[in-house]
Amino acid sequence: MKLSSLFFKARGAILLLLGVATLAVSLDASAIPVFARQTGFKCVACHVGGEYPQLTSLGRYFKLTGYTQGDAKDFWNLTTNIDRPPVAVMLQTARQYYANNTAQQNGANPTSSYDMQVVSLFAGGHLTDNIGAFVQWTGNKYDGNETAQAAPGGTYAGGASGIDNTEFRYANHVITKDSDWIFGAYVNNRITMSDVWNTTENWNSQWIGYFNGGSAQAPTAFINGGASQHSVIGLGAYVFKDKTWYAEAGAYKSQTHGPLSIMTQNSSATLLDTSPYVRLAYNKEWGANSFELGLHSLIGYAHNTGPLTTYSDWTGSISTYRDIGFDAQYQYVLDPHYFSAHFRYTHENASNNADQIGATVAGPTNILNEAWADVTYIYRAKYGAMFFYNGARGVNDTTLNPLNANGSPDWDSWNPSIFWAPFQNIRLGYTYTFYTKMGGTSGTMSNGLSPHDYNTGMLYATLVY
Amino acid sequence: MKNISKILILSAMALALGACSNIERSRNLDDAKVSGNTLAQQVCSTCHGLNGQSINPTFPSLAAQSKDYLSAEMTEFKEHSRRDPAAQAFMWGIARNFTDKQIAELSEYFSKQASPVNKAYSDPALLPVGKKIFEEGALENGVPGCNGCHGVNAEGLGPIPRLAGQHADYLYKQLMIFGSDYDEVEAKHEDELERGHGAVMEIMAHGLTNQQKLAVATYLQSLK
Repeated sequence: MKLSSLFFKARGAILLLLGVATLAVSLDASAIPVFARQTGFKCVACHVGGEYPQLTSLGRYFKLTGYTQGDAKDFWNLTTNIDRPPVAVMLQTARQYYANNTAQQNGANPTSSYDMQVVSLFAGGHLTDNIGAFVQWTGNKYDGNETAQAAPGGTYAGGASGIDNTEFRYANHVITKDSDWIFGAYVNNRITMSDVWNTTENWNSQWIGYFNGGSAQAPTAFINGGASQHSVIGLGAYVFKDKTWYAEAGAYKSQTHGPLSIMTQNSSATLLDTSPYVRLAYNKEWGANSFELGLHSLIGYAHNTGPLTTYSDWTGSISTYRDIGFDAQYQYVLDPHYFSAHFRYTHENASNNADQIGATVAGPTNILNEAWADVTYIYRAKYGAMFFYNGARGVNDTTLNPLNANGSPDWDSWNPSIFWAPFQNIRLGYTYTFYTKMGGTSGTMSNGLSPHDYNTGMLYATLVY
Repeated sequence: MKNISKILILSAMALALGACSNIERSRNLDDAKVSGNTLAQQVCSTCHGLNGQSINPTFPSLAAQSKDYLSAEMTEFKEHSRRDPAAQAFMWGIARNFTDKQIAELSEYFSKQASPVNKAYSDPALLPVGKKIFEEGALENGVPGCNGCHGVNAEGLGPIPRLAGQHADYLYKQLMIFGSDYDEVEAKHEDELERGHGAVMEIMAHGLTNQQKLAVATYLQSLK
C-alpha cells in the first residue's frame, strides 16, 4: 500500500500509518494453486515448508522461466483441462486483538474484531512456451487505496476490489556445454514483484496482515513501502547465469491513462515518473542449503502534485528518493526440517521538492535507514514459527514524523508468530506484533500513547484452493 | 523516456511476437513432441542437475543410474504406484503425461551421465559399519549383503538401482519407507504401500536398525 503517501499527506500521518500501511501486507497474498495445478506439484515443492510466499530453488526457477513449466493449455486453440479450474481463490479470516483500543481507528473501538478480510482470485501460468502470467485480483474492504475514506485508518468504506500483483513474463533458458543462461523480461505493476528471493518488499515472508486499523508499521524507504503499489507499470529484463549470478534492470512509471493503465489501480497514489530499478544477486546452493546476497536499488522520481494529462505525463516539481540497500537470504530445505532467514537493509536519501517543504516535510532532504530481518522454522511442512524484526533509523523531521515532538523516525517492532497447516492449503495461526520504539522513544509520545499501546495480535485462518 | 508507455506497449508487442512454440527449449509437460533431452535440460535439471548430479538431497542423483530402473520409476510415478510423500509432491505432476518415448529418452539421457561423485560429509565413524552391512549384510536379522543384487561397487544392474554416490539422506529415507511398508504388509494394509514394487527391500529394511540404515546409506554415499 502506499506508505509513500505519507511523504505527501502526512499531516495526519499517525492514523494513516496505522491504517493504510498495514494493509500493504495483508494484500500480499501470493499462494497460487493455479500453478500447482499446472505443475502437479504440491505447495512444498516451490515454497519453503509449503509456506508461501517463500520460494525454494525450484520455485525460483519456475518464476524465472516465466511460469511456463508444466501442463500447458494451448493458448491459440483455447483448449483447457476442465478437470482443473483455471482460477484459484484465497480466503483469509481473522480475529484481531488490540492492546489499547484508543490507539486504533477501529470503528467503535472494540478490544477485538472479527472479519473475513481478504478474498483473492488468481489466474495465470503458461501462455506459450516462453510467456507466462501471474494475475491476482483482490477484494479488500479496508483497502484505503481503492476507495476514498473519510478516516484513513481503515473505517469500513463499503468494500473494494481491484487488480493486485500482476505480471507477464517472457523467459528463455539456454544451456550450452559450459554454461546455463536464463534470461527474460517482464511487465508488472509493482516494484520488486519481479524478485525471486524473499528479501524484497513484495514477497517478504510476513504476508499475513492485520486489518481494520491494526498494527503500525515502521517508516519505510520508498522502494520498500510498496511505493505506488499497483499504480505503476514496470518493464524490466533479467539474466541468471549458472544459477549463480543474477542481474536485473527495470523502469517504473505511474500509469493513470493509456492502455497499460488497465494493469493498474489506485490513481490517487503518488505519481511516479520514470524511475530506474536495479537488482543484483549472488546465489549459491550446496547440499540442502542455499544462500543469496543481493543489492537492490531504486531512484524514485515522485511528483508532489501535478495536473494529469493524457498518456500519464505530468508537470510539476519532483522529489527524488535514492534508495540502495543489500539483502541476504539463507535457506535449509530438507524434509522434515525447513529453515529460512532473511535480512534487508536499505538506505534512503531523499531530496524533497520545494512544494513539500514546510507542508509535508520540514527540510530539503531526509535520510532513512531501514532494516528488516526474519527467521522461519517449519517442521514437516505442518508446524511453523516465525519471528520478524522491522526497524528504522534516520534524520529527525518534525513535519514528516509527528509521532513524537523531536520528529524522530526511529522505530523497532517485533513480530513472533506460529501456525499449523493441517492440510497444505489451510493454515491456522496466531501472530502478535509488539513495539519497543516509535518516534524514537519507548516512553510516551506526543499523542499520549506509548509504543506498546499499539501492540496487536491476530488469530487467523487462510484457505487457498 | 517521456514516452515510456509507448515503449512499454511496443515491447509487449515484441514479446507477443515471440509467443510461438519453442519446441527445443520447451518446459511443456503435456506436449508429446518435446524430446526427452529437452525435458532433461529444461525441467529435470532444475532439481536433478544437468549432469544428473543433484545438489539438494531431497532429489536423488540420476547420473549413471540404470536405464531400466529409471524407466520403471518414471512409469510408477505416472501410474501413482510409487507414492511416498516426495514422489507425490514432485514427481506425480512431472510424470503425469510422459509418453513411453519420453521416458525412454530421459532414461537414456541420465544413464549416460558420468557417475556421481558425492562430496557431502560422510561420518567416518559410520563408514566401516556401513561397509560391513553392504558387503556381508546383517545375517543375524536375515539381511544378506547388498552387493549381491546391487553390484560389488553398488553400480546397479537392470531393474536394480545404482546406489553408489547417492545422497545418504535420500537412501535413508527410502529404507525407512521400505521398513514402514513391511509393517503395512504385516498389518494387511497392502493398499497403503508407498513403494509397492519393493517387496525384497521391505525385508531388508525390516532387518536393519535405524542406525544400521544410516550407516549403510552413508557408506553408499561415499562410494565413487
